[in-house]
Amino acid sequence: MNYQEKKVITSIIAGVLVLATYSIYGMSKYLEIGEDLLNNLEFWATAMLITIGGGVVVVILIQIIFHIILAVANEVAKEVAKKVSGEGKNEIYEELEITSIEDEMDKLIALKAMRNSFIVVGIGFIIALLSLYMKMPPAIMLNVIFVSFSLGSLFEAFSQLYFYRKGVKNV
Amino acid sequence: MSKFVISNNIRKLRFYNNEMTQQELAKKTGVSRQTIVAIENCKYSPSLELAFRISDVFKIKLEEVFSYEIIEDKGKKGDI
Repeated sequence: MNYQEKKVITSIIAGVLVLATYSIYGMSKYLEIGEDLLNNLEFWATAMLITIGGGVVVVILIQIIFHIILAVANEVAKEVAKKVSGEGKNEIYEELEITSIEDEMDKLIALKAMRNSFIVVGIGFIIALLSLYMKMPPAIMLNVIFVSFSLGSLFEAFSQLYFYRKGVKNV
Repeated sequence: MSKFVISNNIRKLRFYNNEMTQQELAKKTGVSRQTIVAIENCKYSPSLELAFRISDVFKIKLEEVFSYEIIEDKGKKGDI
């Protein structure tokens, strides 16, 4: 597994954490207050804004922890390699440096994954509009849009993993 | 509809160039080792620029590194 794949996995973990926290909070409040909550758009807007803000912080923290763990693991691997080979040259360190570069394949994978993510968001938007058409409360529409953005982001990360594993074509 | 398959001799060329590692080739062409692995396994077709950079590393022409093959789809509906 290369650096980019590991980075994608950390963003999946962060995304799942944020979405799960929001879902649990929203559901518990709904069970506590009941149907009235569906007409309280202010509550949902506040919850979503806090989730977005908190999500950014969680993503940054997880990325920092990931880079610390990666750096420590690399140092350990470097020491082991030195002991085993007895050479001064550090190929493992060089490998980490070069794999953290985003090259043309990474950019193509990111683009294709983003296209997949837009499909999910688009479908979510249509479902949200349908919910309004079916006379459902606006809070449902708001939640469908929010969840579709979160799922779109997760789908983007999974698509990236898929393309790294299966390969990507320029067509 | 025909299928366009691009293949390459990078594995062989690395071997004949002092058993150059994928890491060394990646460093010389400015991409990650993962990209070199994907190109070697025909899982990714490089841009023209990267293809020229790879051929430049081996000091040979582009067509000696990469080749293509057109595979015709047979037995498709409407084909006689």
